[in-house]
Amino acid sequence: MTLTVPTRKPPTGDDSTPVFSVDGLWKVFGPKADTVPADPELAALDPADLRERTGCTAAVRDVTFDVRRGEVFVVMGLSGSGKSTLVRCLTRLIEPTAGTIAIDGEDVRAMNPARLRELRRHRAAMVFQHFGLLPHRTVLDNIAYGLEIQGMGRAERRERAAEFVAKVGLDGMEGRRPGQLSGGQRQRVGLARALAVDPEVLLFDEPFSALDPLIRRDMQDEVARLHDEEGRTMIFITHDLAEALKLGDRIALMRDGRVVQLGTPEEIVSSPADDYVREFVRDVPREQVVTCRTAMRPADPGESAEGPALAPDATVSDAIEAVARAGAPARVMERGRCLGVVDSERLLAVVAGTERREEAA
Amino acid sequence: MAGLTSAAVLRPALPGALRRPAVRKLLALAVLAAVLVPLAHARWGGGAWPHALTLDFTKPLGGASDWIVDNRDSNPVFLYFLGYLSNAVVISVRAVYMTLLNAGWAGVAALGALVAWRFGGPRLALGTGAAFLACGVLGMWVPTMQTLALMVVAVLASVAFGGVLGLAAGLSDRMDRVLRPVLDTMQVLPAFAYLLPVVLVFGIGVPAAVLATVVYAAPPMARLTALGLRGADPEVLEAVESLGATGRQRLLTARLPLARRELLLGLNQTIMMALSMSVIASVIGAGGLGDRVYQALGSVDVGSALAAGVPIVLLAVALDRVTAAAGSDSGAGSDSGRSGGAPGRSRTIGWPYALAVTVAVALAARLLGRLEWPDGWTLPVADPVNRAVDWMTGHLYSGVPVVGGTADWAGHFTTWVLDPVRSGLQWLPWWALLLLVGALAWLIGTWRTALTAVLALAAIGVLGVWQPSLDTLSQVLAAVAVTLVLGFAIGIGAARSARLERVLRPVLDVFQTMPQFVYLIPVVALFGVGRAPAVAAAVVYALPAVVRITAQGLRQVDEAALESARSLGATGRQQLWQIQLPLARRSLLLAVNQGLVLVLAVVIVGGLVGGGALGYNVAFGLAQGDLATGLVAGAAIVCLGLMLDRVTQPAVRRAKKGA
Repeated sequence: MTLTVPTRKPPTGDDSTPVFSVDGLWKVFGPKADTVPADPELAALDPADLRERTGCTAAVRDVTFDVRRGEVFVVMGLSGSGKSTLVRCLTRLIEPTAGTIAIDGEDVRAMNPARLRELRRHRAAMVFQHFGLLPHRTVLDNIAYGLEIQGMGRAERRERAAEFVAKVGLDGMEGRRPGQLSGGQRQRVGLARALAVDPEVLLFDEPFSALDPLIRRDMQDEVARLHDEEGRTMIFITHDLAEALKLGDRIALMRDGRVVQLGTPEEIVSSPADDYVREFVRDVPREQVVTCRTAMRPADPGESAEGPALAPDATVSDAIEAVARAGAPARVMERGRCLGVVDSERLLAVVAGTERREEAA
Repeated sequence: MAGLTSAAVLRPALPGALRRPAVRKLLALAVLAAVLVPLAHARWGGGAWPHALTLDFTKPLGGASDWIVDNRDSNPVFLYFLGYLSNAVVISVRAVYMTLLNAGWAGVAALGALVAWRFGGPRLALGTGAAFLACGVLGMWVPTMQTLALMVVAVLASVAFGGVLGLAAGLSDRMDRVLRPVLDTMQVLPAFAYLLPVVLVFGIGVPAAVLATVVYAAPPMARLTALGLRGADPEVLEAVESLGATGRQRLLTARLPLARRELLLGLNQTIMMALSMSVIASVIGAGGLGDRVYQALGSVDVGSALAAGVPIVLLAVALDRVTAAAGSDSGAGSDSGRSGGAPGRSRTIGWPYALAVTVAVALAARLLGRLEWPDGWTLPVADPVNRAVDWMTGHLYSGVPVVGGTADWAGHFTTWVLDPVRSGLQWLPWWALLLLVGALAWLIGTWRTALTAVLALAAIGVLGVWQPSLDTLSQVLAAVAVTLVLGFAIGIGAARSARLERVLRPVLDVFQTMPQFVYLIPVVALFGVGRAPAVAAAVVYALPAVVRITAQGLRQVDEAALESARSLGATGRQQLWQIQLPLARRSLLLAVNQGLVLVLAVVIVGGLVGGGALGYNVAFGLAQGDLATGLVAGAAIVCLGLMLDRVTQPAVRRAKKGA
């Protein structure tokens, strides 16, 4: 398993209101669904007991998180963990049972149908697992479809759409139908359709899980590139841990409808919240996720002046290369200041997965 | 949930034989019969349906029909609604008819050919044009135009009416629940049953014919529209919603275009059913080709019947091919892009061009004074055909050495098959028949279908037409038996041999598009009139569907199962009996069901050529203006159709909920 973690720009935190703010969100399917979140006794039941007692299934259970402007927020979990339901609740494609959702501070659940359409048309666009393309339309008209829904004229929307054809690398295929494209190309169309409406947030619902591994990697790189170029806020649903670690600024790990851990990839890998998460991340090559900031120790006097310099965001695997090449501990430098050093002992501890225990001891 | 678990707990406690659901059902029925049969037998006796249990509908129905005839010109419902409806129908049929006549034969043929070209390319255009010209050559241009005019109006109305119903059923779950059983039932009823109620209200004439056609032809449009709207990929619809589409935008830009294939298939079926019905509706004054066939059959003038029948077949095949071509044209995944170089277009022509050519041809014909089909160009086929039929009557009917004659066959079939089956059915005590139907329906389907079947059969008894219905039933059973033996044999052959399949396909295509009425012509030529020809026509009519469903079902059997059987060294026969036939059970049952429905339709129509029984009652009622007799027979036909359909309806496994 190779993971290339791009050096991410930290989300620009100038605007403090989160794009999406979700608080105590519930989605329960079944008869009298709304009684479940309200009743603390029922709410505490595990899924099997809840189904036995009420015939209901709680797909999303008391989920709370904020999505910051410009970040890639990944929701990860196995199938049936409620992640797809969760993302559909955000724009009320599925009506939530309880809790609050706010976009830029505006209450989504209180929106009337017209306002909600406005939200879907301009503020949040979604990319689907099976693409959701209209088979009777050409690539160009599919990409222009969101604009058509907004009421834009034919010539104007086609012109706009043509820009996005190039942007997702589909030049020359404007006239084809979705049935004539490969899976990867179709998802490029889906991506372009979402981008064409210039949304504030892009929602991805397992967009690449139907694709071949090589194409999937291409598409992941494409998304990473788009995010680097535009800095658009993204909410990304996946069941693939590698994908989550590769793309996510922060990851919410879901199980049975609950968020069991929310944190940066590094936090999740280096300090799993419980045994479930630990089991989940067991095979992750830690040196490719853990950064020097976590692995370093305070510099001994004299060490802060010499040795190779590394950024705090550099991964341990980068550090190993530098340390091996120099034959000496490397310094972790930020704005000309030495934060600490990483030596071979520290780095080996990360690779062996023993560094937490050392700290605990 | 709870019921399931308790059943699972109980099951092992039962003795071996009881574990089979069939045995349990039969046991329950036997208990029920043991209680009810002695009671019924003691009170009403065996044999035919007891007189005490019949209700006489003749008088009230006769009264109703008299009242309608008396009040047709004064009652406000007739004056202000039905009258206008009937006028509108007459005016529009007339308008279309005049337009067709004024376009001249050349104009109509050119339009047909160019429309065919637009959808299907030059070969189809040639065929369509030739079909129209053939109608003229046979001397049937005017009746063809009459039929066509009636069809155009009926199809437009059916598409509008069925489309609206389908839209409602496709978009609303509640409407779907209400409409589906109604449409399903309408689908299995013979065309003949529709005639009488319309005649009761509108009297004999073009309006009644058009409305009967609309009622008969609209259900497939409604069904397929609903099916298309419901079958749309849910993720596409979700994607459309996620982009903020309004309900109207979703319908117009996604749901309807996604259902295009089903909509066009619905149009195709509606046209075919409308043609079939507009021909049968000649019995109630539709005029046109059907009327010619009807009149000719009445006087056993096979030549004239054939001259009118061939244009019906040509019309059917041409209409079917053109609409089918429209359905497969530029659907999803075709290679002609809308904005691209359109490689698919080179074979076809544009609408403006087609229209211009039509107008030019029509004008040219008008200037030349050749609007009507020239008399010198007709080929008198009636006389030679009649001579051939006479020769056949003389030489083939009977006394052919070794094989006997066709009339002999018909006679033998009547004596050795039809008569015993009929007397057997009529000998059975009425309650035994009810029990038999109930048991069969329950074994194959659910208690609901069994109950419907039994009630339908009982209703026949209550209507007081027990004996003629059993006569009809005996013909249906004999015809279905023959159909199934032949159909399964040919179907199995077609499934196993690609060559036979290739040969059969075009034949089946043509046979399946022909209206029921047409099948009566050759059988009358071969077998004369009577019950046997009606059965023969029914067999020929139902055979293609049975062959096709059988072959399809066998071919769709899981390839992996067959492969594993082959790998174990199974012979061809073993594969057929142990793998293919059991796995294709549902298809075979569907074939039986379809066979019954189709056979019934023709056996009823066979009342026109001496089939007797219910079909004769309807025809008699229409001819004599004795609507009460006809209506009772019509209701019995409906019940019979319902019963036969329900008996062979397999239990549909409910879709798993919440999966």
